[in-house]
Amino acid sequence: MSYALIVAEVRKGIFEERNLDSAGFASLLQKETVLLIPEGPYEIPPITERVLKVPVEEATFLNPLFMSTLIQKVTELKGKPDAVIFTSSSSGTELASYSAGKLGLPLITDLSAYDKERAVFFKSYYSDKIFGEFKVKGEGQFIATVRSGSFKEFAVTKIPATEAMEAVAAGGERTFLGYVEEEKGEIDITKAEFLLSVGRGIGSKDEIADYEELAGILRAVLSGSRPVIDKMWLPKVRQVGTSGKTVKPKVYLAMGISGAFQHIAGMKDSECIIAVNKDPEAPIFQYAHFGIVSDVHKVRDKLKDIVRG
Amino acid sequence: MNLLVFTKRVPATQEEEVRIIDDGKGIDLAKIPFKVNDWDNYSVEEAVRIAEKTEGTVTAISMGDRESDEVLRRAIAMGAHNGSLLQLTEPLHDPSQRAAIACNFIKKENIPFDLIFTGVQSEDDQFAAMGGILAAKLDLPYVSMVIGIDEIEKEYVIVRRELEGGLQEKIRVSLPAILAIQSGINEPRYVSIMGVRKASKVERKVYEAEVYNDAPRLIEVERWVYPPKKGGARMLAGELDAVCKDLLGILKEKGVYQ
Repeated sequence: MSYALIVAEVRKGIFEERNLDSAGFASLLQKETVLLIPEGPYEIPPITERVLKVPVEEATFLNPLFMSTLIQKVTELKGKPDAVIFTSSSSGTELASYSAGKLGLPLITDLSAYDKERAVFFKSYYSDKIFGEFKVKGEGQFIATVRSGSFKEFAVTKIPATEAMEAVAAGGERTFLGYVEEEKGEIDITKAEFLLSVGRGIGSKDEIADYEELAGILRAVLSGSRPVIDKMWLPKVRQVGTSGKTVKPKVYLAMGISGAFQHIAGMKDSECIIAVNKDPEAPIFQYAHFGIVSDVHKVRDKLKDIVRG
Repeated sequence: MNLLVFTKRVPATQEEEVRIIDDGKGIDLAKIPFKVNDWDNYSVEEAVRIAEKTEGTVTAISMGDRESDEVLRRAIAMGAHNGSLLQLTEPLHDPSQRAAIACNFIKKENIPFDLIFTGVQSEDDQFAAMGGILAAKLDLPYVSMVIGIDEIEKEYVIVRRELEGGLQEKIRVSLPAILAIQSGINEPRYVSIMGVRKASKVERKVYEAEVYNDAPRLIEVERWVYPPKKGGARMLAGELDAVCKDLLGILKEKGVYQ
């Protein structure tokens, strides 16, 4: 059987929306599509022709030691999948790399596009400044992780045929102990209508006070991209991005943010995005509605001067 | 506790133009400064902190050209005890080959370890795959996106790994193991130029990476291309004063500023 195996990502009983991207990419391969998913009360949209349910908890399913064994089991039952597809998430990336190592298959992570005529995979390099066109060698089988938002189309609309798998032994050297929720902060940036967000480009922690002042006089809420939070210039509750908060304000003013994909994913649905960056090639300009190529500090100081009259 | 930490020298392309040359066959990095991969900086710091707590040893390993000695010296200046360079004659774009070299090197040279650290990903190729493939090849448990190490015992560690939307999961991992370290796990210590110079006096061993490469190339770069342009922003150009007034006009129009 020639098929593409899509490994579903589920968290806290929810079928993650990014699985649709995996299905979208799988549909380009023009093979039968099979969704591998742990048993549970998930609402599974009709995105594949078949569903294979595995009798384990989601945390076990998402353990890479278990997953690589599970894929081997699926291979014994159904034959080698032509493609094993994961989401390009924290867990998808972890599962894909370990499985690729165990199964000895070619791996393309963070897949952004696919040319089906030439069987060429497009993958980002240097924070989206360059794409590599990759080909897989050998018999054409591969493992991929699919970047969220990159593949939207899929044709399957009928209810898939569902099959239950027998249990597979879980890898005991890694044990899930529980989820840890982020502490609630004093500010909820997801509620703000106007976010002034700062990035690595502002240079140092010493600059934060001046941007805070600008946010104050513009009546915006100050937020930041990952590097700013990592360097502890702002608290974690102010982080915009996949590992922080997803925001949709009326206006998102990004200052000194180059536009790593993980950041873009957290703010791309803002009503109006204005980006200020000294690098005219910064990826954020591709997503912004308005752009200013300039030194961010000069823009900051000039805005203050004008507002204060 | 013996800790191995992989550290990579990468081009600092954040604010630089990256040009494709030779009809897509190459990328011009000649004028771009290089630095230690951001995630590896956090990994080195975490390894050094654990070694300080457990009276252990940190070995920094870098795979790259001769210039990668620079990141080994930096790791030593941060507290690593020694460094090894797996010297490449050309860049390797397949993470399975990089992992195979690392795996064979550790095995053949009998490098002792309890924990291996990698960064979650490297800034240049963004594969985020080295730790996972290496763990599979060494038959070790693996955790990526590690944002906290809460408990370290002889037999196991308890870590927190980062998921999306501010959620984390707590995991117990048997040792030996491989952890891919997420940025923000700690605050890497400052390293002075003097510190890096001093580190030059500590011996770093150089090995030919190709000697350890027994893996076939599983993926191949056909060529390099620029990403397709999306709609793009309407650029506000002109004198700074006028540009900032335009910006304020947009804020007014959107109703967020009076």
